[in-house]
Amino acid sequence: MSLYEIRNLAVDIDGKRLVENVSLTVEPGQCTALIGASGSGKSLTCLSPFGLTPGVVSGSMILDGIDLAGADARHLRDVRRRLTGFIFQQPLTALTPHLTVGAQLQEATMQAGTARPSRRELARKLERVGLSRADERLDQFPHRLSGGERQRVMIAAAIAHSPKLLIADEPTSALDASLRAEIVALLDELRAEQGLGMLLVSHDLASVEGHADQLVVMDKGRVVEIGSAGALIANPAEDYTRHLIAATPRLDEPSPKLGEPRDLLLETIDVGVEFQRPGWRRGKIRAVVDASIILRQSESLALVGGSGSGKSTLGRAIAGIGPVTEGEILWQGAPLPERRKRSLDMRRLIQPVFQDPVASLDPQWQVIDIVTEPLRNLRPDLMKAECREMAQQALSAVDLAEDFLTRLPASLSGGQAQRVAIARAIISSPQLLVLDEATSALDPLIGAEILELLLRLQVENGLSLLFITHDIAAARRLCHRIAVMEEGRIVETGDMQAVIDDPRHPATQKLIAAS
Amino acid sequence: MLKRHFPLVLVLAIVALALLLPFLLPWNYDQIDWDAVRAPAFSGSHFFGTDEIGRDRLARLAAGTRITLMVAMAAALVSLIVGIAWGATAGWIGGRVDEAMMRVVDGLYALPFMFIVILLMVVFGRSILLVFVGIGLVEWLTMARVVRGQVMALKQRPFILAAEAAGTPSIAIILRHILPNIAGVALAYLMLTVPQVVMVESFLSFLGLGVQEPLTSLGILVKEGADDMDMVPLGLALPGGLLVVILVCLTIEGERLRDRFS
Amino acid sequence: MLALITRRLMTAIPTLLVIILASFFLMRLAPGGPFDGERPLDPATQAALQQAYGLDRPLWEQAWLYVSRLVQGDFGPSLVYRDFTVSELIAQGLPISLTLGGLAIVLALMIGVTAGLFAAVRAGQAADKTIMMLATIATALPTFVTGPALALFFGLWLGLLPVSGTGEGGAWLIMPVVALALPVSGAIAKLTRAGLASVLKQDHIRTARARGLSETKILFKHGLRPALVPVASYLGPAAAGLLTGAVVVETVFGLPGLGRYFVQGALNRDYPLVLGVVTLFAALIILFNLFADLIYGWLDPRMREG
Repeated sequence: MSLYEIRNLAVDIDGKRLVENVSLTVEPGQCTALIGASGSGKSLTCLSPFGLTPGVVSGSMILDGIDLAGADARHLRDVRRRLTGFIFQQPLTALTPHLTVGAQLQEATMQAGTARPSRRELARKLERVGLSRADERLDQFPHRLSGGERQRVMIAAAIAHSPKLLIADEPTSALDASLRAEIVALLDELRAEQGLGMLLVSHDLASVEGHADQLVVMDKGRVVEIGSAGALIANPAEDYTRHLIAATPRLDEPSPKLGEPRDLLLETIDVGVEFQRPGWRRGKIRAVVDASIILRQSESLALVGGSGSGKSTLGRAIAGIGPVTEGEILWQGAPLPERRKRSLDMRRLIQPVFQDPVASLDPQWQVIDIVTEPLRNLRPDLMKAECREMAQQALSAVDLAEDFLTRLPASLSGGQAQRVAIARAIISSPQLLVLDEATSALDPLIGAEILELLLRLQVENGLSLLFITHDIAAARRLCHRIAVMEEGRIVETGDMQAVIDDPRHPATQKLIAAS
Repeated sequence: MLKRHFPLVLVLAIVALALLLPFLLPWNYDQIDWDAVRAPAFSGSHFFGTDEIGRDRLARLAAGTRITLMVAMAAALVSLIVGIAWGATAGWIGGRVDEAMMRVVDGLYALPFMFIVILLMVVFGRSILLVFVGIGLVEWLTMARVVRGQVMALKQRPFILAAEAAGTPSIAIILRHILPNIAGVALAYLMLTVPQVVMVESFLSFLGLGVQEPLTSLGILVKEGADDMDMVPLGLALPGGLLVVILVCLTIEGERLRDRFS
Repeated sequence: MLALITRRLMTAIPTLLVIILASFFLMRLAPGGPFDGERPLDPATQAALQQAYGLDRPLWEQAWLYVSRLVQGDFGPSLVYRDFTVSELIAQGLPISLTLGGLAIVLALMIGVTAGLFAAVRAGQAADKTIMMLATIATALPTFVTGPALALFFGLWLGLLPVSGTGEGGAWLIMPVVALALPVSGAIAKLTRAGLASVLKQDHIRTARARGLSETKILFKHGLRPALVPVASYLGPAAAGLLTGAVVVETVFGLPGLGRYFVQGALNRDYPLVLGVVTLFAALIILFNLFADLIYGWLDPRMREG
């Protein structure tokens, strides 16, 4: 008998049916992964049977022989107390800020009714999930720990009472790329050790590959396809699954056809960026140190690293929207002044695209005003009608219809908003686009489309791209060369395939393992 | 719309009445009717009766409302302008300037401003201009804090950076990107400031330090009513009740606006 | 924690000094005061003033004199209450005002937090909406309206409570404290409810629920402390509001507290008295703010480092 089995699950919220006819099983010691875009209903499917969402459930849900259907709140609470452990997506906010790590871990251990654990036992639990200086941590408050450390505490707390089923809702999505592989490996180990069944939710196929036994693909509240992980990925039966697999970048797919790089365009020589420590503390933070890169016309360079590696800071310095404290930036041999001293002509040359598409558009402005803003400053000679025409052309270059011109950002989806942002960036015919995690916040299918769009722009218009990301596999689809950053320094550079085949630096190796 | 915004409609109705009544009533607010002193309500031409000197209560109520609200609007505007200027500057420039400016705000926030205003009034005399400015100065701190918070949050949003990359100069960014995006919050807090200011003005007038004779205000009317309350409780109930109604309605609407824009 | 306290004190002391000096200079330069010789003063007062303020010495020396005396607790002589020094008047009035204020804030916290919690737990239901409407009305009730109204109703009509002065026992406290506490309790109720409603939506509450903890435990162990943070931030301005309200309440109920002395002093241009009271109140509020910060630090450990 399966550990956990749901059949014909349906979840309604406010009268709307958001999940329909979902059936899946979880076997003891095995991992069932739920994959789908945001809004596909995967979180609701996992959490609603246990009473953790406002959804109203119907259907059959049986955990360890206990029927959850029709159970009242007290009964469900009892099940949660004894049989399940939960891990959520955002480690930074998942722990109670005014209780120490030790206090919360103790509460988790005792929740099923066991006796008070000794300090030594608690410390051992923290060590098991990979936390150093475990004894110290017990007395610390959560805000002292990093995101990755907090997620480890969450994992320790989730299994502290020896549950039978572990439910992890996007446990690594908010974590730094290099940490993801470690956390997923940790979960595998614990699963094997304790014979736990695991229900894992993710929007990223790549992160569950090799770790999941069963795969359930969901879209719009329904199950699209279900089967053993290896077989499904090798031989997807449904179109949706096929698209999803194709959209997920992998390191072993065929190399992309990129444009031909030409003359030298951009060169940074020992660029450094320093910030004052915020508030009362003394000293400076060195975000970027001795960064030297080159970029040619029609070439794409991937700037890859974990969070805090300085890649965004370097990108902003190059784009002229962030400070430069040391070193030089040269454009076609001539020095490019730093942010405040850049002339309008120079601004024309380099344009940015940001990670959060909706936040990069002024919520009070219409699309046409957003897209033509660069023209108003950089081409004041143009008349209104000419500007409008250029806006239409820019929109069609990013595959958006003309009626988008009068829309407001709030009415756009993530993918549409990012296209508008790209249209704004290319309207003044720049030579370099600085893309700061431009696809990271998008669903995999949409992100893949944007990557394709960027590739097309690069090849057809001869644009150079500086693609900042933590996802090497995605960068591979777009870029000729790669520069890896860690703690502000560039630790490895080279041709994309060469570096992937033979990574020298440990930072690079970690990033490749995470893909 | 009428039903949902009932409080606002009520306040507007009160204001309309206060403005129109002088043309409809036979009595002025400081006119003395020697024949009717402390007349009860509904006696002759005095709808609410007269006070202890013989002045028509309804006329005085209307006049008091007009003055109180006028002072309140003016003072709220003062606090709006000073608050936005201070807060937007601190938020936009950031760094040490912001720290210094906000520390001033924090320091002042804790003070019993009322006392300082009273002190100023005592020292410099009781002019109506001082009432406007003094009261406005009491309330600008909250506006400054709110505006500064909004501006700082906006400054980090990518669309501001994109505007910079597009070559838009700082002034244009502030005028065309920042201000439209804080207008909603500023309006909400303006609405909330008015009742605060009404309270302050009434308070000062109650103590004899605000609006002076021959003008009257709701605060003065409450004081007169309180002094005479053992004889004629209506004299307290009318201005007091009206004051509370105005304050409650404005607060409800202001909070609704504030929640919409947060 | 110690760093936070030190930092607060370091901001507080200059602020206080600025207030004292500003008040002093205002007093010296103000028209119509006792110093420009407009009103002839009797020789006794003149001599007292001369001695107190060293009127023949340069201005900055006078300021120094005033401040140093102040620090030792000597506020100078009262101009109106000729037989008393300001310090003596303060000593008489301070206990009354402190009692009023102290009781009022305790009452306001008790009513406000309870009402706020009650409403938050029943968010969206009729009880919540009713309580919040009552709280909004309470915040809009100025003390100078509720004071007289209460006095009228319970004092004159029902004859239950004394209308003025301090009498035997504690009965004289009831109406003034209630009038003072009402608006503050309304504000606290709203802050508590808003704070709790927003905390209950946060992730760490979901974690606690996922652990199968009872709703009561979740509320009190995981939810209450962060929810009270806005209330703690409000305590400083609340104290300022209470002091202001005390002025009214003492006037209305004829209580010989500091507030009433202040108003009398203001109306009679008794500068030393007015200045003394302002300085004292400012110092009290700064102290209270520091206290509020300490509470804040206990509620939210992230604040402890300052």
